[in-house]
Amino acid sequence: MSAAFARALLQPDAPCPAGLKTWNGSDPAKRFAVYRNNVVVSLVDALADSFPVVQALVGEEFFRALAAEFARANPPRSPVLAWYGDGFADFVENFPPAAGLPYLADVARLEWLRVEAWHAADAKPLPLAEMAARLADEAALPALRLALHPSLRLLRSAHPVVSLWAAHQAEDVSAALGATDFADAEAALVVRDGLDVDILRIEPGAAEFVESLLRGAALGEAAQTAAPFDLPATLGLLLRSGTIIEATPSGRIS
Amino acid sequence: MNKTITAASLALAFGTALTLAATPVAAQDKMADKEKCYGVAMKGKNDCKAGAGTSCAGTSKIDYQGNAWSMVPKGTCEKTASPTSPTGHGQLKEFKEKKA
Repeated sequence: MSAAFARALLQPDAPCPAGLKTWNGSDPAKRFAVYRNNVVVSLVDALADSFPVVQALVGEEFFRALAAEFARANPPRSPVLAWYGDGFADFVENFPPAAGLPYLADVARLEWLRVEAWHAADAKPLPLAEMAARLADEAALPALRLALHPSLRLLRSAHPVVSLWAAHQAEDVSAALGATDFADAEAALVVRDGLDVDILRIEPGAAEFVESLLRGAALGEAAQTAAPFDLPATLGLLLRSGTIIEATPSGRIS
Repeated sequence: MNKTITAASLALAFGTALTLAATPVAAQDKMADKEKCYGVAMKGKNDCKAGAGTSCAGTSKIDYQGNAWSMVPKGTCEKTASPTSPTGHGQLKEFKEKKA
């Protein structure tokens, strides 16, 4: 009974489940249709909250139709609505009507990383004075391991995802979009600094460096990337955004 | 592969990085400021959007019944016309024609 009820909720053309009664004798099919609509609308609203730039890019009507298709195919697996939308980016990527916008799925990925970063655990950044102290032994630096903030996420895209996202935070969205070069590949570093989630554009080589650090590589090893990057600027960015939470000599990562 | 990173070059990089990190925001280069302001805080999300004491927002709403598979994006993506773009205005139009 409950499985049939749940199935009927997600299929707009399914008949009203048998055995439903209304308190005032009204038509159960009509009441059920209201409930069915509300279920999908609430899920679509949740997606609209989590993917505002995707919605802005395709327009509200298209977004709601896309989100409803996703919701019907992927009902929530968790009772926490804030976590609803995992897998939306992959769905967008394979949604034929959006095929003309190849960057759309990566914009969705970036927005989802932002949600993840927002809800990630807190961690105290390593104070700069302590960081300076850990650097006293110059010979030990290549073996130093950095522990990074739990909210840290990376996205490497073939599209200008950060510029597209940032354009929609600008006052004049059209002007900002006009200045975006769609041939650009961009990498994003997403990290929560206090109560703000920062989305920062970083060089592809810097993304490689941070990926190695996340895997637990020591500094000297991580800094040897395939693509060149500005190491002092990247370290400065990590320090300034409070991303480095611990620095330990090799073998003792906390 | 880059050249091997030496201890001395790491020390130098960190020295610069610490200076950068300790510099007040106003004195940082414009790019960093610009990037920083992109980080807009996301509002907390309530399970019932209309808040306590009211029914959920969905109840008064009738959703679009359109068939998503025949739709075309109409948002800001249409304003991103760019001659070099593989995804600019031109392609959207082409897509429309294909569907029609």
